[in-house]
Order: sequence, then C-alpha cells, then structure tokens
Amino acid sequence: MSKKFTQIAIATVGALSLALAATGCSGTTGQATASQEGGGSFTVWDPYPQHEASSAWAKRIDKCGQEAGVTIARTAYDTQALTNQALLAAQEGKSADVILLDNPAVSTLAETGALVDMKTAGLDTSAIEPNLLAAGELDGETFGIPVGANTLALYYNKDILAQAGVDPASITSWDSLTAALQSIKGSGHKGITFAGIGTEEGSFQFLPFFWGSGAKLSALDSTEAVSALDLWSSWVKDGLAPNSVINNSQNTTWEEFLTGDFGFVVNGTWQVNSAAKAGFATGYIPIPSKAGGVAPAPTGGEFLLMPVQKDESRYATSTKIVECMSTTEGQVETANTFAYYIPATVPGQELLLKEHPELKVWVEAVNEAKGRTSDNLGTDYPVISEQLWTAVQNSLSGAQSSQDALKAAQQKAAAATGK
Amino acid sequence: MMTVTHTAESRPDVGEKADAAVPGNRRQRSLGPRTAAALFAAPLLVYLLVFYAFPLYRNIELSLHDYTLRAFVQGKAEFVGFDNYLAVFSSSTFITAFTNTAVFTAVSLVFQYALGLALAVFFRSSFRLSSVLRGLFLIPWLLPLIVSASAWSWMLNSDNGIVNAALVGLGLEPLNWLTSPGLALTSVIIANIWLGIPFNLVILYSGLQNIPKDYYEAAALDGASSWKQFWSITFPLLRPVTAITLLLGLVYTLKVVDIIWIMTSGGPGDTSTTFATWSYREAFGTGTPDFSPAATVGNLLILIALAFGLLYLRVQKNQEES
Amino acid sequence: MTATRTWWKTGLGLIFTALMLFPVYWIVNVSFTRTSDLRKSPPSLLPLNPTLEGYTAALNQQLPHLTTSLILGVATVVLTLVIAAPAGYAMSLLVLPGRNALGFVLLVAQMIPAVVMAMGFYAIYLRLDLLNTLPGLILANSTVAVPFAVLLFRAFMSGIPRELIQAARLDGAGVWQTFTKIVLPISRNSILTVSLFAFLWAWSDFIFASTLNRSGDLIPITLGIYQYIGNNTTQWNAIMATAVIASVPAAILLVIAQRYVAAGVTAGAVKD
Repeated sequence: MSKKFTQIAIATVGALSLALAATGCSGTTGQATASQEGGGSFTVWDPYPQHEASSAWAKRIDKCGQEAGVTIARTAYDTQALTNQALLAAQEGKSADVILLDNPAVSTLAETGALVDMKTAGLDTSAIEPNLLAAGELDGETFGIPVGANTLALYYNKDILAQAGVDPASITSWDSLTAALQSIKGSGHKGITFAGIGTEEGSFQFLPFFWGSGAKLSALDSTEAVSALDLWSSWVKDGLAPNSVINNSQNTTWEEFLTGDFGFVVNGTWQVNSAAKAGFATGYIPIPSKAGGVAPAPTGGEFLLMPVQKDESRYATSTKIVECMSTTEGQVETANTFAYYIPATVPGQELLLKEHPELKVWVEAVNEAKGRTSDNLGTDYPVISEQLWTAVQNSLSGAQSSQDALKAAQQKAAAATGK
Repeated sequence: MMTVTHTAESRPDVGEKADAAVPGNRRQRSLGPRTAAALFAAPLLVYLLVFYAFPLYRNIELSLHDYTLRAFVQGKAEFVGFDNYLAVFSSSTFITAFTNTAVFTAVSLVFQYALGLALAVFFRSSFRLSSVLRGLFLIPWLLPLIVSASAWSWMLNSDNGIVNAALVGLGLEPLNWLTSPGLALTSVIIANIWLGIPFNLVILYSGLQNIPKDYYEAAALDGASSWKQFWSITFPLLRPVTAITLLLGLVYTLKVVDIIWIMTSGGPGDTSTTFATWSYREAFGTGTPDFSPAATVGNLLILIALAFGLLYLRVQKNQEES
Repeated sequence: MTATRTWWKTGLGLIFTALMLFPVYWIVNVSFTRTSDLRKSPPSLLPLNPTLEGYTAALNQQLPHLTTSLILGVATVVLTLVIAAPAGYAMSLLVLPGRNALGFVLLVAQMIPAVVMAMGFYAIYLRLDLLNTLPGLILANSTVAVPFAVLLFRAFMSGIPRELIQAARLDGAGVWQTFTKIVLPISRNSILTVSLFAFLWAWSDFIFASTLNRSGDLIPITLGIYQYIGNNTTQWNAIMATAVIASVPAAILLVIAQRYVAAGVTAGAVKD
C-alpha cells in the first residue's frame, strides 16, 4: 500500500509541477516585456498592425523616442482590440504611456478618468482646428491631440460616368446625384455602393446623408432624418445600389468599386493611393447635401492620448513624445507616411498642399467635417450611433419603413441616454 | 477495443470490486481507492480552482453591479441586485434572441449530429482512401474562424457570391442570404453546421471504433440488414457517446459568436442575434462597452447550460439504473 | 467486400469530401485573387488572373508565427493530457466522491465565455508576470480543452471492461500501474481524439492570444493574420494565403493522426 501510495503521490506531484513549470519558467521573458516600469523604456500602442517594426511609421515613433531620450516599445492592435486593451490596462493601472485611439472612443475613455488632460500634460492645442479637436473634448477639457484627420467623399469611376453622360460637376444635391445614378444604371452599370453594416462604420457612412438632410443626432426620427434614410433605401430598392450594402464594411465597398462596375462609392481619404492605382481613372467630389451644397461629413482619424500613470514623473517624457508626433512637420510626415491623413492644423495643411496640391478637395472636406461626438454629445454618441445603424439596417433590409425604424431608434436612444 | 458501456455501466466500481476480490487486503484497501481517486483528480481540482473560479465569480459580480465604464476602470460599482437581469428580460431584443438561440442551437445540433454520424458510419467501413478523406474532412477546423466565416460570407454575398451565381446559372432567383431578415439566421446556421461536422465526425467515429466487430458479424449471420444493424447495434451502443457529443455540442453552439458576428453582426436588425452575440455586442460590439449587461446575458447562457447539464445527469442516472 | 463495392464508396467519399471542402477551395481561390477582382460579379470559379502577392507576403512574414503555433498546439496537448487523463480515470473507474458534481462543474466551466475568461486571465497574468509569454498562452489555451477532455475521457473510460481491470488488480497491479499499463493503452483512441481537439483549439485560438500575448515576441499565426487587416484596407489574398500555408502542416498531422486511429483499431481487433 505505502509503495503504491508513494507512486501515486509522485505521479500527482509530477503532473502538478509540470503544470507549474509551464508558469514558472516564464520569469525572464515576462520581465523583459514588462519593462514599462523601468526608466528608459516607454510604451506606445497604436491601431496600425499593418505597419510592421521596419515600417516608416514605426521608425518615426522610434525617432520621437530617441529625441525624448528614451527607447519606445510599440505594440499594434486592431482598433477594436485596442479600445478593450486600453480599458483593461487602465483597470489594472498598467496603461501604456501613449496611445493612439480612434476618435469616437476618446470621450468614452476620457469619461472613465483614465486619461490625462492636455493642459495638465502641458500640451498646447490652440493650433488645432476646432472641428477636428472637438472629438477629444469632454466637459470643457481636452484629452487628446489628433494625429491627423480624414473624412468621407464620393469617389467616381471616370469611364463609367463618361459612358453614362454624367458630368460630376453637375452633382450638387441629392436629386442630381440620384438622377446621375439612374443614368449610370441605364447605361448598364451599377450606380453606387456604400457601407450600411451594423457597426460604427454604418453610422459613419450614413452621417453625411443624415447631417446633409439637416437632421440632428438628438432627434433621430425627424422628417429630415427620415428623408435621408429613405434616400438610401430607395437606392437599394430601385437597384441603384446593390443589396450587399446592408452587410458591407467600408473595405468591402472599396473592393466592389475596384471591380470597375460601379459609378460611385462612398469612401475616405485613406483610399487616395489605392484610387490612383485602380485599373481605371477615378475622381472624387464632396458628398452633396439634400438641398444643394456640401454636406458635413464626419471626421475620422486617431488621437494621441496620454493615459494616467501611477508614476507621474513619466508624463514629462510622454509629453515630449506626443509633441514630436504632432508638430506641423510631424503632421505632414504622418500624412505622407500614411497617405490618408490631412494635418489638423492650418500651417500643416498649407505645407501638405504645397507638396500635394491634388489633395485640395480633401483639405476642404476635412475643414467642413464635423466630429461625431461634438454637439455636446460626448459619451452619448456611441449609444445614439448604435440605434442609428440599427435603424439603417432595418430600413435597408425592408424589415421596417424608414419612419418606423427611426422612431424606434429615437425611443431607445432617448431611454438609454436619459434625454 | 472491446466491450461497451451499457453493460459495463451497471457494474460496481473497480475499487470496490477489487476489495471484495482480494479478501486479505480489505482493511488497507478501504482507504486506498478513495485516496487514490482523489489524488488522480487532484491536478484537475487545483486547475479548476485556479483558472475557473475567478472568471466565474467575476461574471456573476459584474452582473449584479452597475459597471459603467468609469466604475469598471475605477473599481467602484454600485450594487444593483437583479436590475440587470430585469433589464435584459424586458429588453425588446430578449424574445428575438431567445428564439434565435433556440432555433440556432437546435437546428445546428440536429444536423451536425445526423451528418456527423452518417459520415462516421460511412467512413467506418474501410475503403480505398477512407482514412485520407476522413482526415481531409477535418480541414475546415484548421482554418482560423475569421477566414472560414469570411469565406462563407463571401460565397453567400447577394451580388457577387458564388451561391447566387450558381442559382442564377440554374435559372433560379438569387437570394439575399445575409441581408434579408428572413434568411440571415438560416445562412449562419448553414455555416455553423459545416463548422460542427468535423467535431461530431471525430467523436462519433472514435465511439464507433469501440463497438466490437463481432456484434455485427453475429447480426449479419442472423441476416440483419445494415439498416437494422444500425438501429439495433450502432445506435444503442453509441448512446453514452451520443449523449456527451450532444451535450458538448450544445455547450459550444450556445457559445458561438465569431461566425455570426463576421457573417451578419447579428443583423439585419436583431434577426440573427443570439444570446451569445448579444452578450458580445454589449461588451465589444459598440462604442461603449457595457460589461454588466454583457455578463448578465452570459450568465443566462450558463444557466441554460446548467439546465441541460442536469438533464444529462438524469439521463445518465437512468441509464446506470436500467 | 468486393472491389467494385469499395470503389463505389471511394467515389461517394470523394464527392462528400469535395462538397465539404468547397468553402476551403474558395479560400484557396481568393488567396490567388487580385484585390480588383475580389468582388467581381459573377465571381470566377478559377483564379484566371492569378497573383502570388498574397503568398509572397505570407511566406515572408508568417513562417515564424507558424512555428509558434505548432509549439503552442503541441504543448497544449501535453498539458491537457497530463491533467485530464488521470482525472478522467478517477471519475470513471475509481471511487471518486462527488464525481457527478465535478462533472457538472466541468460542464458549467465550459460555458464561461472565452472573453470573460480572457479578462480574468489578464488580471491574473499581470500579477504573475505571465503576460506576453508562451507558457502563459499555453496554460490559457489548455483551459479550453481540459474540461472537454476530462468529460470525454470519462465517457470513454467508463466503457473499458471492468474484467480487464480486475484481472490486472488480481495480478497485483496497483492503481497507478493499472492506469499506465491497462487504461492508457486501451484509451489510445480517446487520447488521440483529445489531442486532436486540444491541438485544434490551441491552433485556432484568437481571443486568448489577442488579450494575453499581443506584444510578445512569439505570436501565433491567428494573430499574425491581423497584420493584414488594417484600419482601412484588408489584404484578403495575404490573409487567405496565410490560412492556406498554415493549414498544410496541420493537415498533414491530421491525416497521420487519422491513419493512426485506424491502425489502433486494427491492432485492437487483432488483440481481441
């Protein structure tokens, strides 16, 4: 018995220690990466996994670290994961020193008290265009600096428009746009594609039409709002836009446009390079508003943020890094490295236009654009946006009329925001 | 690789039997089996305590507090009792999500199991290439879910999907697989059945291997058809494996998020939203993560699994008693 | 069994396999497709205008991640077996008090959403300094497989004929020897099945890797793929090419494992 018992005991201990060995031997690697606490190394998180360690972007961050006298450990997450990670890390008090985060998430993160405001950080934000800075503001304080900005416009296929006899300059209102789509359909092509997916991207793409009707996010069920959703739904119903838009992400719409079958696509500054390389000639015009003129499109792009640290002495260095990333030259460099950012300051925009005069339409569009969390919406925006994209989905798929869908959306949004 | 469960189940445990069989050792052994059993299970117990207790506790704690994001980060959330549960029950999504979860799970399970079993039986008879083909059947499982789910949404795309192209080629009307409220759930179920076949095939095939060949030989001598052999030998003898396969299948199907999320994001509207995708959407699908409602819906799922777990225990007990 | 009958079955098997693998073929097709042809309507069945840029990118960037995934998969299998096999033995063939309750707990354990698990692990790992380490990820991945493995071992081991075990005990074998000499060899099929599952789950895990090992030097292939999913562009051909390349070693493992299962059966039959 005792012999058997010993054998079993040894076996069990063996099994356990194997399990523990798996945890125990990790000490060295763990310390190497957890050097966040150490003096000479600073962490930066960004949402650009496509830019590897050897990319121009990564090198730029390294350079800013060198200028501040520290080394930088950069980690790239996809946007969704980065927001989660920022929250989890903040909860554990182990945030990165600098985070680049998509602008609608900034007020959410700021609201949790996890961010240092720019005044405390000693950063001057006065040069930033107010409409672009708005997404970083909460209760009168500013919690970040845009690394650059982008927005939406209508790209078109020159060959298809020529075949259909459509002059892009004539498109200045919803009526002229719909008429153009009908001529394109008549010439045997597909009119327009956009992203109506049930995520933030769906709201992002719908907003230029929503705002362009004169509607406000505080009243989702206004007549103006219904007319905007009716516009999209009628395009799908009349075959001017494909049914797949209900499930399309922005990337998918762009892939559809690249087939050369579509007249128009709603897409952003970031596709400028890809458009230039497409197998056909392309152009872009601002998205028209209902009655005529340019509709306000939502601003896009990331903000540089400084999360709260236990060791406040780190802020000085982090400030230097953020400054280096957001100087006029820095913003132009970002614009060039990424090809899809317009600098957020007037001097930056002027400098960029000197190098790339062809981006004039985009600079104008960015200056006309509107922050999604602006109009004092702040952290109410994500709640409203969820209802908005749900209404878009319900109307496009034919589950509800635009009016019913938006009415339900407004009720839920009002209940959720308490307004 | 011989005899099978249903006869073995009814027998007393080995340890006790061994005690009786070796009279001289009775005193020592009476302590032995239990201690031995506990020692064999010890690593698992430690493991469960270390890795599961905390997440489970956390999920319950989240559901009983109002964790706004600020509270989540700062760690000071208000205790609200069952308010979150009431909110979930009274939400307009609840009925839809409940029905969808039931349909998604039941239909997926039935088809995954039926197809998995049919294939397992088919592959049981060895023929040329059978093991290679069986191995190939598992490939869908090797693919990261984002890849296989994307492939499905690609194939089912209304305008440029191969499935609709085939329908048009056959002179039929194309269907809006992913974008019409009536079809979205069906589409994700089809993809999920496809994903679940390898799992069922592996377990059921493995279970079939444990059925002794001489049973079939005897039945064949008696002149039983293969159909009859299946219902009188295969199916009854496979019952314990069937029970565990279905139970595990249920647990995994209830949890499915990725495939639905990638294909339809639970839409259009709520038409393909299940409890699991609802929980995911609350936590990560919108701009504001709401961990409390997410955990609440997650706990509902755990409760559903508990109910089926109890059912399983009962069935198992009946089997043991019979 | 006559030759014609087997051929008929092979034919049918080929058709079934082709149907089952059509989505996989579609992935291969996309891996060769240019971005401008991705959404062509109607889609083309063959990559008529193929590009290798997806494969070039994947081969240049993803091979180290492939190795990581393989190590991760194998280590998860080992850890899972070490914990689950003895537990399954205790629950099915030994007198374990409260084994039904334990089975129940295991069942509930599997219901905890992976996201919740990952969040819990994050808090624990941060304190233990296990974040961004391979052992940490192995441990986390094994939590998916262990409850399943125990339940499966239990279900299969309870089918082992008691006579066999009693005979061993009468020959003087202890509990441990019975386990290693009798139970484990007989359970070869279930060990293989469990290994297969543990490997595949670890292989395809994304949530744990993305929460616990984001900035590690050694990232698995599921995370590597995300390199191609940018904010504003998606390199589908590179993603699909990575998936195809990654499937090859794993598929070979699978086919070998399947042969081994079959071999185990014959060996068992002979022993019978």
